[in-house]
Amino acid sequence: MALVRIDGLHKHFGSNHVLKGINLKVERGEVVALIGRSGSGKSTLLRSINGLERFEDGLIEVDGERLHAGQTNLRDLRQKVGMVFQQFNLFPHLSAGQNVMLAPEVVKKLPKAECESIARAMLAKVGLAEKFDAYPDQLSGGQQQRVAIARALAMQPQVLLCDEITSALDPELVSEVLAVVKTLAAEGMTLVMVTHEMRFAREVGDTLVFMHEGRIHESGAPDTLFTRPRTPELANFIGSIH
Amino acid sequence: MTYAFDFASLLEYRDILLAGTLRTLALTAIGTFFGLALGVLGAASRAWQLAPWNRVFAVYVELIRNTPFLVQLFFIFFGLPSLGVSINEWQASILAMVINLGAYSTEIIRAGIEATPRGQIEAAESLAMTRRQIFLRVVLAPALRKVWPAICSQVVIVMLGSSVCSQIAAEELTFAANFIQSRNFRAFETYFVVTGMYFLLALAIRQLMLRAGDRLIGGRRT
Repeated sequence: MALVRIDGLHKHFGSNHVLKGINLKVERGEVVALIGRSGSGKSTLLRSINGLERFEDGLIEVDGERLHAGQTNLRDLRQKVGMVFQQFNLFPHLSAGQNVMLAPEVVKKLPKAECESIARAMLAKVGLAEKFDAYPDQLSGGQQQRVAIARALAMQPQVLLCDEITSALDPELVSEVLAVVKTLAAEGMTLVMVTHEMRFAREVGDTLVFMHEGRIHESGAPDTLFTRPRTPELANFIGSIH
Repeated sequence: MTYAFDFASLLEYRDILLAGTLRTLALTAIGTFFGLALGVLGAASRAWQLAPWNRVFAVYVELIRNTPFLVQLFFIFFGLPSLGVSINEWQASILAMVINLGAYSTEIIRAGIEATPRGQIEAAESLAMTRRQIFLRVVLAPALRKVWPAICSQVVIVMLGSSVCSQIAAEELTFAANFIQSRNFRAFETYFVVTGMYFLLALAIRQLMLRAGDRLIGGRRT
């Protein structure tokens, strides 16, 4: 059974119909890259999966946890879905370690000592073991984003959503973040990512999903999509980014 | 000028001045603690639109910001007993200060809360934190830190405003000054000294609070 199942998802921003019936399945361990022009609905789709965006019609199911249109209780779902944002969104008043410890402590109510060991392990995993006590404003963008990944992983999510996580980074910092994502993918983490890094999407992704005007226009194996796009829109999109 | 200054005559009243100062400080400390607590509640209700409290606090804030502190104090001290609530001058003074600071700090702290970047709240939401946890663990400390200098100023204003409590016979510093100058008829010297004392108290409170803010509100200055 698919880990993530999205059925007939519709979403409006006012009179703007941004998601026009999305159907998508993500298997456990699969790496899905969402690509498409800005405004195509890919970020909105991603943000719907953990309830950051409401939708009017359709169903999302993650590891047996169902999310209906208009549902307000999102806690069980969100414990299974981690998210990493374009702007890192670390909590500025907490050290890197405290950022990672916070959710295990207040959401899972684990003992503080255990939270700390989780935080140290997660920071080590993203290569920042020595930055436990550093505050966000003492870290580079790439380091902040790696802390944000560690923070999401500390909740042991079933799937990790990545929303353009390298777009706010200086070019020389992009690779350190992508390296972490690549390791996660290799370890079997289920990933759904919105990305503009086409080479990375092609290299790491199992499935490429091309969104166009609120619909999944084309999807499949990355190599197939890149070399033999079936629709002129995708061919056009691939042409515009090279 | 033929007036002969006589500051030495104040010396015999130093115990009264000291007692008045301590009471002014006590009023301010208690008023600040509960006033800011009320302000945090009000700010949270207003910023996060928690019905019906957001409406209640909106009315309360307008009521207090648009009426004089002296009238508020008189209302509490002379008005409440008419309703059968017995209240002494200290209870009335503290209540008036808490209510007054509560209203102003509601608006100050609300500004801090509303300056929280949306993404930080989304990050906390995506970690499955509840609204209450997000407010207490993610939003509150940076919000207070942003507006702390404004809060310090408001506390100083409330401390200076407590001089009005002398009008209901709360024996704080201004009451002491009135009492002394009615005994020694040295109005200039008495008020000169007391003015200086208020000035120093204000400077001291501001410094103390700024430092306390740095230490007590978690994390680093941003």
